[in-house]
Amino acid sequence: MNSLMTHPNPRQKFVLQGIALVILGAVFFPVWNVLKKTHVSDVPISSVARVPDPLSNLFNDLYFFLSISFLAILLGVTCAFYLQEWLPETNWVRRLVENQVSILSGIPSLLYGLLAVLIFLPYSGVIQKIETVSSDGNVGAASLKATVFQGDTTLFYAMLLTFVILVMPRVIKTTQAALRSVPMPIRESAYALGASRSQVLMKHVVPIAFPLILAGGCRAMSCAFATAALFIGVCIWSHAPQSGQMTGGFVLFLGGSLILSILSSFLIERYSPVPTRNT
Amino acid sequence: MSIMKTTEKQPILGIHNLNVWYGDRQILRSLSFGVEQRRVTAFIGPANSGKSTLVRCLNRLNDFTPNFTFTGEVFFKGNSLYATKDADTVRKQIGMVFRKPTLFRGSIHENVAYGAQISGVTQSAALNASVERNLLRTGLWDLVKDILDDTPEQLPTGQQQLLCVARALAVEPEVLIFDEPCGELDPIETVKIETLVRELTDDCTVIFATNKRRQAARVSDVAGFLYGGELIEFGATEKIFTNPEDNRTEQYVTGRLG
Repeated sequence: MNSLMTHPNPRQKFVLQGIALVILGAVFFPVWNVLKKTHVSDVPISSVARVPDPLSNLFNDLYFFLSISFLAILLGVTCAFYLQEWLPETNWVRRLVENQVSILSGIPSLLYGLLAVLIFLPYSGVIQKIETVSSDGNVGAASLKATVFQGDTTLFYAMLLTFVILVMPRVIKTTQAALRSVPMPIRESAYALGASRSQVLMKHVVPIAFPLILAGGCRAMSCAFATAALFIGVCIWSHAPQSGQMTGGFVLFLGGSLILSILSSFLIERYSPVPTRNT
Repeated sequence: MSIMKTTEKQPILGIHNLNVWYGDRQILRSLSFGVEQRRVTAFIGPANSGKSTLVRCLNRLNDFTPNFTFTGEVFFKGNSLYATKDADTVRKQIGMVFRKPTLFRGSIHENVAYGAQISGVTQSAALNASVERNLLRTGLWDLVKDILDDTPEQLPTGQQQLLCVARALAVEPEVLIFDEPCGELDPIETVKIETLVRELTDDCTVIFATNKRRQAARVSDVAGFLYGGELIEFGATEKIFTNPEDNRTEQYVTGRLG
């Protein structure tokens, strides 16, 4: 790691943030163009968004959100345990995964939302399913739920995929930091008594690391909430005039959430409790 | 304390031509010696002479050190220590007490009972008996019998270290390794540990690494002088401290080296 990255002075920091903004803009504007060219009828969420009862829709979303983020966090924690406790530090798989994780966890969560709307949902075949249901005149959260749970799990997998990519890197990063924070003498003393690896893990490592793992999960969940901002934006869009024009409110919302997202990603990186590895 | 009587006995730990590397750095250079049963064997030497590395090799604690490589053989009761895959059983038989007292979460009772649980005791009556026996043995029982359910962090450092010894004894090891156990203690607490170490030889073999020459002279039956990763001299403590063969050993024990 060079000196520019480890101790940036204010001017270098300004330049770095400028570069980050330019990169974000370069990523965002092509996506923006795709969004502008897309007709409202093509937008996958629109039929779901026209649900008559907003409250039941909200609870349905929360239900999905909690169950799927629980799964994603569980996967992330398991993965971090495997990397940190079983693989030696010199293992190439571990180094590869750790590098990818640190890259992925730095990306603003808003971009994951765009990924979900533009790639996962259209290609997962959910739209056809929803349209089939809605042609019966039976639109709504209940019917969507019925579609998902009566043997058809595509929407579930699309959401899971998005959440896994969004939440897992952050969970892996914080869980690894939590496991590293368990004092080495505690581990060594337990091993010296003759405790097996699983006994050390269950009796000493997990109880000490658990609060930090939980905090990491919460942090990852809040990043997921930031992504939800995008879906709200899409919902507003779906209520836009049929000509496909952007409403002023929506542009304001999307711009605002983009700025907020960039800001939050800088803040999260700046004030993160995760110590960066100097290897 | 004559060493001559016991030389015919099979040593409980036999080390043959042990070389140890951490990465490219060689820490120990072709060590060979035998540790006799129910004796205190001390290793003296200045800092970075390889004492800790050596004693950590004897209960396979170095297995967790990255880049650890070794050649040679370590025999425990005639069997190769590193041939078995079951390192946990090895560490149950060869316990260790560290320089700094490390307390586990939970009460004083739970800390000592944890050692007994490791060795397979599950009944609460047997656990209580083990806790009392080992606390009595370390001389802590009268001090802590009323506060067994309290956290051990309130105890002074010396008593914390004695608690760690009690915990290690609760596993009922055959060999107990002390890695500079008095490094953090004051002289009075040090005397307690030294007295305890002498008493342990009733049913336990003790290996004692220290950089205090006089401590080794007080505690041990057999002593080895390590310098720069080499075992310069190994033999009866009396001989090492009064009539050493090697010039460097004499310089060290008289305080002119290290």
